[in-house]
Amino acid sequence: MAAYTLETNGAVCPFPLIDAKQAMEQLSTGDDLIIGFDCTQATDSLPQWAAESGHEVVAFDRTGDAGWTITVRKGV
Amino acid sequence: MILTGLLVGAALGYVLQRSRFCVTGAFRDLYLTRSTRYFTPFMLAIAIQAVGVAALTSAGVLAPEAASFAPVAVIVGGLLFGIGIIFAGGCATGTYYRAGEGLIGSWAALIFYALFAAIMKFGPLGAFTEAARSRTVGEATIQDTLGVSHWVPTVIFAGLVTALVVWQVRRNAGRPRAALPARRTGLGHYLADIPWSPWVGGVLLGLLAIIAWVTSTASGRNGGLGITTPSAKIVTYLTTGDITLVDWSVMLVLGILVGSFIAAKLSGEFRWRVPDARTILRSVGGGALMGVGAALAGGCTIGNSLVETSLFSYQGWVSLVAIVLGTWGAAWLLMVRPQKAAAASRPAPTLTPAA
Repeated sequence: MAAYTLETNGAVCPFPLIDAKQAMEQLSTGDDLIIGFDCTQATDSLPQWAAESGHEVVAFDRTGDAGWTITVRKGV
Repeated sequence: MILTGLLVGAALGYVLQRSRFCVTGAFRDLYLTRSTRYFTPFMLAIAIQAVGVAALTSAGVLAPEAASFAPVAVIVGGLLFGIGIIFAGGCATGTYYRAGEGLIGSWAALIFYALFAAIMKFGPLGAFTEAARSRTVGEATIQDTLGVSHWVPTVIFAGLVTALVVWQVRRNAGRPRAALPARRTGLGHYLADIPWSPWVGGVLLGLLAIIAWVTSTASGRNGGLGITTPSAKIVTYLTTGDITLVDWSVMLVLGILVGSFIAAKLSGEFRWRVPDARTILRSVGGGALMGVGAALAGGCTIGNSLVETSLFSYQGWVSLVAIVLGTWGAAWLLMVRPQKAAAASRPAPTLTPAA
């Protein structure tokens, strides 16, 4: 199972979510997508998208002031 | 007592920041992700305010005056405002609270929004705005047209929203989502750590809108929450020194900046964030469109979509629909079309294998 990183720092919402969806399409089931972001609204929209699309969130944490990382494992 | 505006504004900024409440997102995502996650809580805020204002009006505490309906100005202004908030990445309050979070792009949008609102209201285009807004038709509100009490639309709307809320809560029940690890305990955990749900945001927004009516009226300004006119007043005051422009509403918008800064700082979510040149240019253009659109329509997503709607005025509801359509059009242009086009102007995100 491969892991990939997607850096979206500097991108304002909803672009981190749009990029994450697009990136996820390139991955296979079980692959991890590690998304770095600094748009506050994405702390809501990214886990919400994962929950609604059947992906598993295996890690979600802060990387510093107004910086976050979330690792989403692709579901079937 | 215009200082109550500062307190209400600070509370509003705090609530919006903690609940990530974005009216632009609420309208945009109806189309972009087919989601009502923030739209229904926004409708709830309108309903709460409508019931509160109706009760206080019946009790003789408030005497709200709905704006006369100028269809062309409201529709054109609403569409322009809707397009503008997608380019700017946030509506009027959204831009204020993101500026408080340290987003430089939001400061660019805010400055141009306030400047163009001032040009349209107090500057060289003031006469044009007045002429456009004076072409009014018929009655101002739905209850005036029907010849019924203001309670009739209030009760019907509150009933509809209640059904919508129940449907959405049930639909989302039992769907677990990931949360950030806790950094604080006790009261601090709830106040400045975990994000507040859109429901908490919507309920508090509705309650603050009622408090705004009462405190603003007590200060001598008959009105509720409003963002565009005070933003224009700040620019005009700073350039003319006319102190009579500084009223409750000016304190309110300054309070939003303060409140969201405090919320973001306490929660570790404040940082000066510099976007790329493209985002800055979009923010500037979007801000200018917002100023022009809100001046023509007589309000923004707050003044019209939240406050005038709760009075059941045509201006409120027609501009809400126009703003929603404007956000959809701009979202298609900026977000959907580039994704679909093979030669997208935005390059596909680059993926690098993690070590």
